[in-house]
Amino acid sequence: MTSAPVATAPARSVGDSPDRPAGSIRRRQRLRRALTGWAFSAPYTVLFLVFMAVPVVVSLVMSFTDLRSTDLRNPFAVNFVGLDNYTRLFSDDLFLRSSVNTLVFVVIGVPLTIVLALAAATALNSGLLRFRALFRVGFYLPVVTSIVAVAVVWRFLLDPEVGLINNLLRVVGVDGPSWLFDTKLALPSLIVMAAWRNFGFLMVIFLAGLQAIPGELYEAATLDGASRWQQFRNVTLPLLRPTLLFGGVVTGIGYLQFFEEPFVMTQGGPLSSTLSVSYHIYNQFGFGNYGYAAAASYVLFIAIVALSVIQFRFLGDRK
Amino acid sequence: MRRSRFAAVAAVALAASVALTGCGRDSGGGQDEAKSVAEGKASGEITVWAMGTEGEKLGEFAKAFSAENPDAKVNVTAVPWDAAHQKIASAIAAKQTPDVSMIGTTWQGEFAKTGALDPTPPDLIKKDDFFPGAWDTTVVDETSYGVPWYVETRGIYYRKDLAAAAGFPDGPKTWDDLKTMATKMKQAGVREGFHLQGAKTGTWQSIMPFAWSNGFDGLGADELSFDSPEMVEALTYYQSFFKEGLSNANLPEGQQEPDFVSGKIGAFISGPWHIGILEEKGGAAFKDKFAIAPMPTKKSGTSFIGGSNLAVFKDAKNRDAGWKFVQWLSKPEIQVKWYQAVNDLPSVQSAWDDSALSGDPYLAVFGKQLEDAKAPPAIPTWEQVAAAFDLEVEKLCKNQADAATTAKAIQQKASAIGTGA
Repeated sequence: MTSAPVATAPARSVGDSPDRPAGSIRRRQRLRRALTGWAFSAPYTVLFLVFMAVPVVVSLVMSFTDLRSTDLRNPFAVNFVGLDNYTRLFSDDLFLRSSVNTLVFVVIGVPLTIVLALAAATALNSGLLRFRALFRVGFYLPVVTSIVAVAVVWRFLLDPEVGLINNLLRVVGVDGPSWLFDTKLALPSLIVMAAWRNFGFLMVIFLAGLQAIPGELYEAATLDGASRWQQFRNVTLPLLRPTLLFGGVVTGIGYLQFFEEPFVMTQGGPLSSTLSVSYHIYNQFGFGNYGYAAAASYVLFIAIVALSVIQFRFLGDRK
Repeated sequence: MRRSRFAAVAAVALAASVALTGCGRDSGGGQDEAKSVAEGKASGEITVWAMGTEGEKLGEFAKAFSAENPDAKVNVTAVPWDAAHQKIASAIAAKQTPDVSMIGTTWQGEFAKTGALDPTPPDLIKKDDFFPGAWDTTVVDETSYGVPWYVETRGIYYRKDLAAAAGFPDGPKTWDDLKTMATKMKQAGVREGFHLQGAKTGTWQSIMPFAWSNGFDGLGADELSFDSPEMVEALTYYQSFFKEGLSNANLPEGQQEPDFVSGKIGAFISGPWHIGILEEKGGAAFKDKFAIAPMPTKKSGTSFIGGSNLAVFKDAKNRDAGWKFVQWLSKPEIQVKWYQAVNDLPSVQSAWDDSALSGDPYLAVFGKQLEDAKAPPAIPTWEQVAAAFDLEVEKLCKNQADAATTAKAIQQKASAIGTGA
């Protein structure tokens, strides 16, 4: 049994390749065609090499050196330190702390955002037909609003003394906490804010996905006596899986790099409880530890790839 | 399969690192020698980078220089503060620097260590003209790489009415005074007797004055030693304001000024810019309600000195004229005019004899304080050390961490970071 493919292999290769009878003319033609092809793709290839490949390779090499900002004038006069930057990362309290924060942000933030977006999309798709355009704009508005403006509003909302949220809590007799100054509440506050800010984008995507589901399927399900929840569970969700996968991957990539929220709201505080990996990398670049920061960036990159692979495994096509 | 590919990558990386270690760092560079500057008037085009208000106003201000030196033209580029560090760093890397740039005092060590800055020519610039604390911020490896342009320092802002009611009509003079005053204010119903920064970037600038006043002397260019009895005592004192409820570590940003105006805060520590802010928030009448005291004394009354320096680059196209422009900006009469234009306090001591400065009761306090004010050493890693310091102090102020433990933790971080020497 095992020898069968070996036996068929040469036969197929002869049949497939027109190489043998072609001769040198064919080969020259092929070379010319290849050259023409490369010429056409040259603008893209050159741009890619200069602006993507080279910087990526340089930064990767940088992560194995002790390059600091004081080496700017002689960037080649640095020492190679091997994996030293990487091993140091995992004994760096702040890096570990920021990794935990980022993980919490992703693990809670991504599902929360997806659920919110899905709920809003489903509502817009079925119930709220009359004001659909208005709601769509309303939910999408935070996505296109500058984070700085969002931060001003949210800082006002969350202010312990004059904030809207604590004033509302006071009405029902609860003494609200100081959200952004409490080490336990600051990160959850930012998660809620990020979900609020980002779910509009996913909602639009999900809405498109929902509208692509044929109405007959729901009709058939109704005839079979399926309830609304059963329809959602057994018709909507399976057919929406590719869209959900896209949403999960995109949001996951964005949330693993979360930076803007703590940058404008808390500066990573209180007591580093909202310090994210990206923010830590930003700080390290600021301190001039280029090699170290590059190493941290690659660890983050690997984490992003890993998360995306996991999501493809769980939500991807199971054919 | 996957394993062997990893091994191949590792082998290549190892080979590359072995091959490339040949071009590693050279150990210990030679000392920079300051070169002299040609005599005569400045000529040619001088490009200058400056940040913030300075960047906006310097171009107009420099016309007086061109009037004195008709052949010279000053081109000022205004750089936003946020982008300045990156822009200067990129310029150094590309060797496309301006002739002169404004440099934040805490960046001095980093940029000087790149070898991009020109040593200050002693024949043109006299060290003794400047406040010693300010001059020290230009010195890296015992060579000066720039000139202090303007300075700022910290003092105690207090409400006259509340202080008088607490028994200190002339403000606190010593550490004990400050503590007693804040406590009495609190007993009289003031929410925070003495507000101190308890978290976030720059807390060290409020703490170091207390450490220095307590005789702390652990910051050298080659070694940082935070773990000393003087530091622990200063941290304990600082922490006590939070422990005893005299200061709130969680005050939202921008809340300090309105609370001071409304009397919820009795005193706080800050620099000269707060004079203008308080007048704006409190109205013209509020100017009589507050006063400024120099840093209260323990062993001394040492404050923190900050500000900005001017440096000339080695890659400058017009080095000599650049230095002449810097020297012009350091003339006492020009420093006074510059103060009148943008409110920057002169770094040149004799400029303070002018009545524009010595006649102002608030500024006079800062002028006196500048004579006893220190800055951290100009080392490339200072900002990172300071960030670690701020973080540990946040635990001290918010979590009631032990002062001795805090000093040890700061020291541990500082040792790991090093001085970048």
